[in-house]
Amino acid sequence: MTSRPATAAELAGMIRDAHDRRTRLRVIARGTWQGCTAAVAPDAAVLDVSGLSGIIEYVPGDLTLTARAGTTVAEVDAATSAHGQWCPLLPWGGDEGTLGATFATATHGPCSVSLGAPRDLAIGMEFVDGTGALIRAGGRVVKNVAGFDLTRLLVGSWGTLGVITELSVRLRARPAVDETWSVAIEAGGGARARLEEFRRGPLAPLAMMEFEGRTLVRLGGNAAFVAASREIVKTLGAADPCDTRIWMRLRQRDPKPRGPLASSALGDPLSTRVKKQFDPRHILNPGIMGEAYA
Amino acid sequence: MTDLPTELSDIVGARHVLQRATELLVYENDALPGYHKRPRLAVFPGTRDEVIAVVRALHRARVAFVPRGAGTGLSGGALADDVVLIGLQRMRRIISVDPAGRSAVVEPGVVNSSLTKAATPFGLHYAPDPSSQSACTIGGNVAENAGGPHCLKYGVTLNHVLAASVVLPGGDVVRLERPGENDTGYDLLGAYVGSEGCFGVTLDVTVRLTPNPEGIRTMLADFTSVDDAARAASAIVAAGILPAALELMDHGTIEAVESSIYAAGYPRDAAAVLLIEVDGALAGLDDDVSAVQRICRECGAREIRTASDAGERARLWQGRKKAFGAMGRVAPHLAVQDAVVPRTKLAPILARIAEIGARQRIHVCNVFHAGDGNLHPNVPYNGDDPDEAARVHAAMREIMELCIAEGGTITGEHGVGLDKIGYMERLFPGESLDAMCRLRDAFDPERRANPGKVVPSHRCREWLAAPGAHT
Repeated sequence: MTSRPATAAELAGMIRDAHDRRTRLRVIARGTWQGCTAAVAPDAAVLDVSGLSGIIEYVPGDLTLTARAGTTVAEVDAATSAHGQWCPLLPWGGDEGTLGATFATATHGPCSVSLGAPRDLAIGMEFVDGTGALIRAGGRVVKNVAGFDLTRLLVGSWGTLGVITELSVRLRARPAVDETWSVAIEAGGGARARLEEFRRGPLAPLAMMEFEGRTLVRLGGNAAFVAASREIVKTLGAADPCDTRIWMRLRQRDPKPRGPLASSALGDPLSTRVKKQFDPRHILNPGIMGEAYA
Repeated sequence: MTDLPTELSDIVGARHVLQRATELLVYENDALPGYHKRPRLAVFPGTRDEVIAVVRALHRARVAFVPRGAGTGLSGGALADDVVLIGLQRMRRIISVDPAGRSAVVEPGVVNSSLTKAATPFGLHYAPDPSSQSACTIGGNVAENAGGPHCLKYGVTLNHVLAASVVLPGGDVVRLERPGENDTGYDLLGAYVGSEGCFGVTLDVTVRLTPNPEGIRTMLADFTSVDDAARAASAIVAAGILPAALELMDHGTIEAVESSIYAAGYPRDAAAVLLIEVDGALAGLDDDVSAVQRICRECGAREIRTASDAGERARLWQGRKKAFGAMGRVAPHLAVQDAVVPRTKLAPILARIAEIGARQRIHVCNVFHAGDGNLHPNVPYNGDDPDEAARVHAAMREIMELCIAEGGTITGEHGVGLDKIGYMERLFPGESLDAMCRLRDAFDPERRANPGKVVPSHRCREWLAAPGAHT
């Protein structure tokens, strides 16, 4: 059985109902995480969030964006690109997944090291907990310490504390220059040490990854910054310019594990208490974090 | 059964337990004037084991408590109203510094700037820099998720805390860590940072250390209208430049600073100045400087000064960082706000704040993190004049309502504490406040840690049913 609510209020009603009837729910949207949701109790009813879609507010001058959880990463990217901005998550798996799934799973990407992980980019959200309560957390401004931080709690909680219905994220300006080099790092001559120094130094790249025996280096910044970075890259070994779209191929190949999650994350008493507060009947994605369910 | 003071004295030593009214006097306030609460007693553990033993003793006695660092908070959050105050300033050891891993492990009472001092030999620093950094503690910074001018580029405390050990109010010790790329599990560290002492007592904190930038350029742009300065601040960020800091000070603040011992050489005839710092690799840095200068001029800057050396830079910053202190010269009391608004609305909101100030006949001094939209409209006033105090409080309420209505929030870095608790119901619906109470209950089911702060207690479902809720 699949339910596909069109509004957050409708979704809240469905979860309230599921809570009352003790119906287990498998939360899905675009189905990009099927490998993981396989761990969810097989008798769970499907709750499809993809109907909650669309950008609600985007003020480029504020560098913030609010969208419904079912909005895809690609839609956000298209809207922000038009203003020379991006939500710099560039998550593993590509851009077909939803914003909600990306933050619910705290999916990183190759640029997370330099541009921020999901927990650093989320500034607020709306979610429905396991009792059907519709909850607002954080806000739409970039700095906010009003109240306890439910946003951080929900990011990476895999839909087990609540179903995200809306997200506010901080954006960044796209770098003026964004270029990628494919480097065959020299075996000797201290190239590895120079690479490490480069990675940790002031001219550090946006991203760096091993790929088909070469090292992909993504440089970003103003023209003079990138020119200086480029000079260092050329000292590391034979360097060839590379189409930046290679990162999308790499992300879609997804080198990160996404099977059913192996170990229980809910084993400690504090996490168990948190879980009980937000999903007392254990109906949200039961089993997805490797935990036992009766 | 031993009484509590004796039991606590047995743990920490009698001279580290204060009970007399005269001794407790200094613990009746934090840095926000206008609130006084007397603790029942104050206890000062000196080691991790003592902190744990104290919390367990309070748990056995079912007594509520408030953890406190240096008392530099600006929200009344560290005030203990007839409950036990746990002072952590003796917990000031830097346990280790790992230059290669760019991290350090510290006790909660370590002073923010001492940590940077310890990291300096390695070319590193601790990035969050609240203006009180020469006195405030890392434990307090974690509790408040403290910010500071350089958080615009480098992020707030949350982004720099890698792990913490915490003793929960029930006496259990837990280890909270920043989730890694492949970890699963709740981000309880993220929930803990900024919990304002309501979730437990920090035993140690692992923080990230940041490499010192290769180059720093500090500019002071001088404007003949606040509106122009605010528009310049919005335009710099909108242009895709990410300054290390972007601060606005208006005429009232400039006057207060220039009349004080912290005089920084700000132009006294300016309506507002922007203090702008860009930093990073030397390559490309001067291009950012040129872009900032161009935008400031386009927005009507009269003059842009660039600090030529470290001494001049320090002087420009001193005026900013000591601005709150300088306002102490103007009047005996100071109302402090910390609202955040969308950056693009800065100019119109500042105009409305000026209108409110004029109508209520009060003296608003703006000094704030313009790059984040984090306002600090401060009002020096004489609290002994009931008419003036009433006008100040009315204006403060109006300003807060305005910021909420414009899509902002009530606090960006100071915390809710006592001072802003009355606005929480304006900002969040009841179900959100209830959810916050539930998160707190997971950490502190008996609600004994920093009672009466952050979330109005009547917003918590089953509040009356909770054991120990009123101790």
